[in-house]
Amino acid sequence: MAKDRGQGDDYTGPLKRLLLGVVVLCLLGLFLVWRIDSPRVERFRAQVVDRVVPSFDWAMAPVTGAVNILRDFQSYQRMYHQNQELRRELQQMKAWKEAALQLEQENARLLDLNNVQLDPRLTYVTGVVMADSGSPFRQSVLINVGARDGIMDGWAAMDGLGLVGRISGVGRNTARVILLTDTSSRVPVTIQPSGQQALLIGDNSAAPPIDFIENPDQVRPGDRIMTSGDGGVFPAGLLIGQLAEDPGGRMRVRIAADYERLEFLRVLRSYGHEDLNDPGHLIAPMLLPDEPDPDTPDTAEAASNG
Amino acid sequence: MAERFIQRYWLMRALYLILCIVLIFMHLLPLDTQPSNWTGPDLVLAITFVWVLRRPEYVPVLLIALVALGMDLLFQRPPGLWAACVVMGAETLRNRVPTLRDLSFAAEWASVASTMVLITLAYRLVLSVLMVDQAPLGLSLMQLLFTLMVYPVVAFASGTLMGVRRATPGDLDANGRRI
Repeated sequence: MAKDRGQGDDYTGPLKRLLLGVVVLCLLGLFLVWRIDSPRVERFRAQVVDRVVPSFDWAMAPVTGAVNILRDFQSYQRMYHQNQELRRELQQMKAWKEAALQLEQENARLLDLNNVQLDPRLTYVTGVVMADSGSPFRQSVLINVGARDGIMDGWAAMDGLGLVGRISGVGRNTARVILLTDTSSRVPVTIQPSGQQALLIGDNSAAPPIDFIENPDQVRPGDRIMTSGDGGVFPAGLLIGQLAEDPGGRMRVRIAADYERLEFLRVLRSYGHEDLNDPGHLIAPMLLPDEPDPDTPDTAEAASNG
Repeated sequence: MAERFIQRYWLMRALYLILCIVLIFMHLLPLDTQPSNWTGPDLVLAITFVWVLRRPEYVPVLLIALVALGMDLLFQRPPGLWAACVVMGAETLRNRVPTLRDLSFAAEWASVASTMVLITLAYRLVLSVLMVDQAPLGLSLMQLLFTLMVYPVVAFASGTLMGVRRATPGDLDANGRRI
């Protein structure tokens, strides 16, 4: 049998081998020509592609469309996984958001370190928190500055980030700060950017509610809450926090101050508030304490004489 | 009988060409326009080798060269080199047909594997000697591996669906004579 085949190859074998050699030489030659003179062969290739691929065109569009439809069906099957993926990404986004918030707070702290004076009349005394209220129903802290340092009732206490509370009760060396979350705390606020006036009412929760908004339609979660300065309780424009909506649809404040770690509090000296001790009179600002003294020229004369 | 036989192998050559064209067409479909980091098997190579080992007369040298060169041109590969490699690999296997006919499929598979590895290495070697940009090594190795893995499947499918089986005693060879 093998002998028969050998005989059959006697005259076709060399021819086939010759053909093979020619084919391989042609292919390798084409490759070498391409390597040497690439543009010419590439033009040839472009012509071949130009002839061949458009002839597939009648089939390409429908097949591509069909495959894409199939893939869409597959993507319906993958919906659960995509959902999981989105949830994971949302978690990551939350982490980024947290990072952004921390950067914002750090920025505020750095501004604080630079001693940015928002209002030249606002100077402050910094105290260290010594103790808290010691009771779950009262939200207050005790700081180590008091009447000795000129602290007065009603002054605002801040940390580097935002308003913390209000001095209520001054001892010689200590003062008590009623926090915004205390049930007795009421602070008139402005909601920016809409400029709505409202009242921040402490209710012994971490996020005190906002009430008496003039036009609740104009505020939305994320708005900034500042003190309004109404009633002279606080200087205007102190940052309190951000508006948020709780699941019950009530507006609450996410307080900017870091209530978890109250260590250093700044007590703002504010002399600007009016005392309402005589209800029949016009309410007018008090004279500033550093008004020009009529005696000053005399002392200057004495100095020049001396 | 001889005429019917000749008709049949022209038919099978046309079938080979059509199969290759369909595969090329599937590759050309604009489904993935992004660079991917994995690759499928080279089915044309697998089919060529399967058919060469089963029925050498269905895939003459010129047909293999034509298909391979067309793929080189259409897939933007260096024209001619891979085609030459495929032709040489196919001819090597064609020469082993009488030996492999009596051996098991594992021996055939090993023979195909060595041929594929050799032509891939030769291809990459020539490209690197001539300093031609080439695909990442990992991708070619992956394709080689997938092609080898898919080889038994292609062999089985060719045998059952298209009737490309090994010639058995009593069949006719390319010249219409009994083997």
